[in-house]
Amino acid sequence: MRTIAEINEKISRRQAVAWTVEELKARVKESGVAKAFKQVDVICTGTFEPMESSGAIINLGHTDPPIKIRQCWLDGIPAYAGFGAVDLYLGATAMADYSSSDVLDGNLRQGTERERGGAHVIEDLIAGKPVQLRAIGQMTDCYPRASFENTITKESINQFYLFNPRNLYQNFIVGVNGGDRPLFTYLGPLQPRLANAVYSNPGAISPLLNDPDLQLIGIGTKVFLGGGIGYVAWEGTQHFPLQKRLPNRTPIGPAATVALIADAKQMNPYWVRGCYLHNYGPSLMLGVGVPLPVLQEEVVHHCAIQDKEIVAPVMDFSIPRRVRPTFGLVTYEQLKSGRITIEGKSVRVAPLASIYLSRKVAEELKQWIIAGKFTITEPVATIPQDRSFIAQDRRGSQFTLE
Amino acid sequence: MKKRVTLTFPTNIVQMPITYRLAKDFNVAANIIRAQVAPNQVGKLVVELLGDIDEVDAAIEWMRLQEIHVSLASGEINIDEDICVDCGLCTGVCPTQALTLDPETFRLQFRRSRCIVCEQCIPTCPVGAISTNL
Repeated sequence: MRTIAEINEKISRRQAVAWTVEELKARVKESGVAKAFKQVDVICTGTFEPMESSGAIINLGHTDPPIKIRQCWLDGIPAYAGFGAVDLYLGATAMADYSSSDVLDGNLRQGTERERGGAHVIEDLIAGKPVQLRAIGQMTDCYPRASFENTITKESINQFYLFNPRNLYQNFIVGVNGGDRPLFTYLGPLQPRLANAVYSNPGAISPLLNDPDLQLIGIGTKVFLGGGIGYVAWEGTQHFPLQKRLPNRTPIGPAATVALIADAKQMNPYWVRGCYLHNYGPSLMLGVGVPLPVLQEEVVHHCAIQDKEIVAPVMDFSIPRRVRPTFGLVTYEQLKSGRITIEGKSVRVAPLASIYLSRKVAEELKQWIIAGKFTITEPVATIPQDRSFIAQDRRGSQFTLE
Repeated sequence: MKKRVTLTFPTNIVQMPITYRLAKDFNVAANIIRAQVAPNQVGKLVVELLGDIDEVDAAIEWMRLQEIHVSLASGEINIDEDICVDCGLCTGVCPTQALTLDPETFRLQFRRSRCIVCEQCIPTCPVGAISTNL
């Protein structure tokens, strides 16, 4: 048994032993769980994948005369302004609003492309680049100003932090297209007649698959987020811990999620990348690393899980319904081999998560811990393990599709 | 020697059996990488010319006399390594496995010799790291 306090004491003396989760898996294979447990204090997991349910909170600072912003655009991308006077929320998937008359009157920055979304603006701000701001206010006695235009950078605004309602999906799906026309999805292009498949979770190295019942990760857990320090703020949206699970406790499809929060001013654009999925829309690729304190032997046991022991369902996107037909389960070992077999047909598979950068996140976090720069936290509350997955149906509906 | 060229035909030359003439008159094998040819339209052909160096040069000279525009700067896929995040999404749409992920490092590998410049990878790349100079 170890305690978080003991581990932090070792971290501050720079004597803590931190391994990446892949190093741990290799050591367990070599010498077993008991021996690995004796040696290691912290196991570092990481992922780098599109997490579209992300966005940035911004407080601009007050203008003179002051303005209560009701509508706002950053580089032509609309940001939500329906709260405090100069508070904004810029969502990762927000896109330039082409139907608005603003485009016609030429107020939008030239060169705003459909491929550019809120995520790209977030990346630019983190990179220290200037961003055009345009705001329309509601004139009141407190805030008489009607409109405001300016150029902002991360240095010229008060708060700038990511608050991501859903990150770190514990497992996900594999997308295929059994139809006869190409589909453009949040997993990228899916070619007809099962010509390709895409998976988006990095498998056995993914943070939440190594703590399947969220016994270590909870509200307040300190994490690596985009190259800065962040925290688990809450359960994520669509958090679904009751997903069916294998005997090793890993879910057979999308399950637990967490909401993350972190100061974007500390972040590095290397780990925060705006991306665009062709004919689907913008998204945010994000590097997130989670340290798992080795408090009991059970932690090592869970982290020893291999790609061949984790599965994901193959879903057919050609039926655009909530419940899509499935071609059954495949293991991450099969997915990472680059080919899976569906209905007797060999199909090439590509990842959407960067396994290379996921490993690099884990390695970076490990170096922070070894160097005494990153201590670990005890969660202040656990993430609920009993949330069901409610669908939105019209009231009065007589039948369910499931 | 091997030389990759882009041929642009005026509409009146589209009828000419170019690859046959290259083989018959110059002993040059023309491996067609991409082609866009239709009656009464300007045609475009990306070919890899394989043959003796003098004969390849003579063949190019002859094509230029036929008013075929020969560009040695042939269409090529370029990957900007500073932008690429090695996600590998492009490997799923690449028909010739020119784009693959290294099974050990999971870094993107591009084997130019296998590339047919179909350009499917360009819109697929989520971070816009892939472009062509064609």
